[in-house]
Amino acid sequence: MDSSNDEALDIIITNVVATFRTRCHLNLRTIALEGTNVIYKPEVGKVLMKLRKPKITASIWSSGKIICTGATSEDDAKLGARRLARLLQKLGFKVRFSAFKVVNVLAVCSMPFAIHLIDFTKNNRPIASYEPELHPAATYRIKHIKATIQVFSTGSITVTGPNVQNVATAVEQVYPLLFECQKPRYK
Amino acid sequence: MIPNTSETLATFSLPAGLTYPVQIPAGVTLQTASGQLYKVNVPVVVTQAPAGQLPESKPTHKVTERREAAAPQSAVIPPNATHPQEAEPPSVPATAVTQPPHPKPTLPPGQESSLPQQPPVPAAEPSQPQGARSPEPEVTLEENEPSPRPEPVSLRMTASPCSQMLDFQICTEEALTHTAQLKNRDIDDILKEVIEEEREKAERARNQMPAKTDNQSEAVLGLDLDYNYSELSDIVQLDGPAGDSDIEEEEGVPLEENDFLGIINAEAIKALQEGDGSSDGNSISSTSDSEGADELANVEEEDPLNSGDDVIEQDIPDLFDTDNVIVCQYDKIHRSKNRWKFHLKDGVMCYGGRDYVFSKAVGEAEW
Repeated sequence: MDSSNDEALDIIITNVVATFRTRCHLNLRTIALEGTNVIYKPEVGKVLMKLRKPKITASIWSSGKIICTGATSEDDAKLGARRLARLLQKLGFKVRFSAFKVVNVLAVCSMPFAIHLIDFTKNNRPIASYEPELHPAATYRIKHIKATIQVFSTGSITVTGPNVQNVATAVEQVYPLLFECQKPRYK
Repeated sequence: MIPNTSETLATFSLPAGLTYPVQIPAGVTLQTASGQLYKVNVPVVVTQAPAGQLPESKPTHKVTERREAAAPQSAVIPPNATHPQEAEPPSVPATAVTQPPHPKPTLPPGQESSLPQQPPVPAAEPSQPQGARSPEPEVTLEENEPSPRPEPVSLRMTASPCSQMLDFQICTEEALTHTAQLKNRDIDDILKEVIEEEREKAERARNQMPAKTDNQSEAVLGLDLDYNYSELSDIVQLDGPAGDSDIEEEEGVPLEENDFLGIINAEAIKALQEGDGSSDGNSISSTSDSEGADELANVEEEDPLNSGDDVIEQDIPDLFDTDNVIVCQYDKIHRSKNRWKFHLKDGVMCYGGRDYVFSKAVGEAEW
C-alpha cells in the first residue's frame, strides 16, 4: 500500500474467465436441442450456453471442457460454473465438477490524471512498449506476476492477470510510474 | 510409332505390320485398336494374338484396377496399395477376359506363353517394391491358366474402378456374346480359375502375413492387409472420451455430432437419454426439477456438486410453454451481445390464438 495514493483507486473488474471440466463426454447435439438458451456452433464444434444470473457465457466442448466468460468476480465465476454444471447434469450427463480454474481477470482503472505515454515508455524500457501506429496504448508487462497493463493517454488503464490479487498488485506497482509521467490536463 | 499425347502420357500406337513380340518400356499407355487404354508401370511384352481380328472401335476407357477385378488378390497386381491407377500387364492376362483381339498390345496371350521367362518386367518402378515381384505373380497366375485366351475377346470396361468385379462379369458376358472364335467354355474356366486362385492367395496371405517368401503374392497381399490394418490404427480420433467418460455417450457422439441442427433424430435422442442416465429420465422434462435433484447428486473427488444445495435451479422454463409459436425457415439469424435479429422466411405463426402465414419476416429481440 505504500505506492497507493490518498484517494482509493477504483479497480473495476469487468471480466473473469474460468475453465473447468466435467470429466465426461458431452453430446453437443443433445445439449443444443434440449438445453435452454443455447447457441450451437457445429462448424466449430461447441455449444454456447448463456446464463442470466450470473451473467455468464459458457463455451461447451464435447470433450467436457467448459470455458466460462463474462463473470464480474471470481466467486461469481465459480458460482456460474457450478450452475452450468448442474444444468448439464439435469440434461442427463454424468457431470463431475472438476479442475475449476480462473484463467484470466480483466480490470479497468482510471487515473485522476492524464499520462504522457512517450515519457512513460522511455522511463520504463524495456518493460513498456508503445507503438502508436498499431495501438493507442502503451503496454506494460510485469513478468513476475504475469500481468499486462495497457496505459492510455487519458489516464485509463486496463489490467489483465491470472487472478484478482495479481491485478491489484499490478495496479499498485504501476501507479507510481504513471504518477511520474503524468501530463497536466490543461492544454 | 506414332506418339499420341492423349492425356498427360505419351501413347504409342503400334502399326499393324509390326512384328511381335514387342517390348514396351514401363510407364507407357497402350491403346488397343478397340480404343481401350492400358497404362502399365512395368515393362510390357506385347505379342500378337493367335487369331487376329479386326479391332472394334469403342470409346476409350481407361483400365484402372483390374487387380480389383481380380479380388483382393494382388498376385498379379503388385502395387495394390501404391498405384491404384495402374493396370499391370500381368493383371490383364490374369483377368483373361480382357483380351483385346487385335494385334495391338495384347499383353496376356503373349505373356502367357512367355511367362516363365518373364520378360522385361523386372523392377519396373523404383517406387514399387513389388516391381521385382510382378513377374512372379504373373508366373503363378499364368500357371493356372494354361489354356490360351481367346483373342477376339474384346474388353468392354466401364471406367469406374469401384465396380471392377462388375466389369469383370460384364466382360465375361460380352466375351461370351462375342464373335465366333471365342471359346466360351475357356473363358469361364479361366475366370473361375482366376477367382479361385485369388481367393486362395487371399487366404494364404491372411494366414501367413507378410513373410518374404518366394510367394510374392502372399507378401503383396500381406502388405495390402498391413496397409489396411495400419491405416485403421492410424486413424486419429479427434473426438472422444476424456478417460472416464461414458461409453454410451461415446457411441452417440460420432454419429450425431456433425448433423445439422434441423435434422432431428428422435430415436437417437431417446437412445441417448436412456443411455446417459437411467435415473435422469425424469429430469429431462423441465418441470420436475426437484425430483431429479436427489438422483443426480454426484460425489466427486474435488468438489461434490451438491445438487440443489449450492446451485440454484435455472429459472423459468415456462417460457417455452407459451402458445405463441413460429415455425419457419431462416435466412439469417444475427446476434450482438444480447441483441438478436431474425430474418425469417416461409413460415406459419400462431400468435394470440390466430394463425398467420408469411413468406418473409424480420424481427428483433433482446435476451
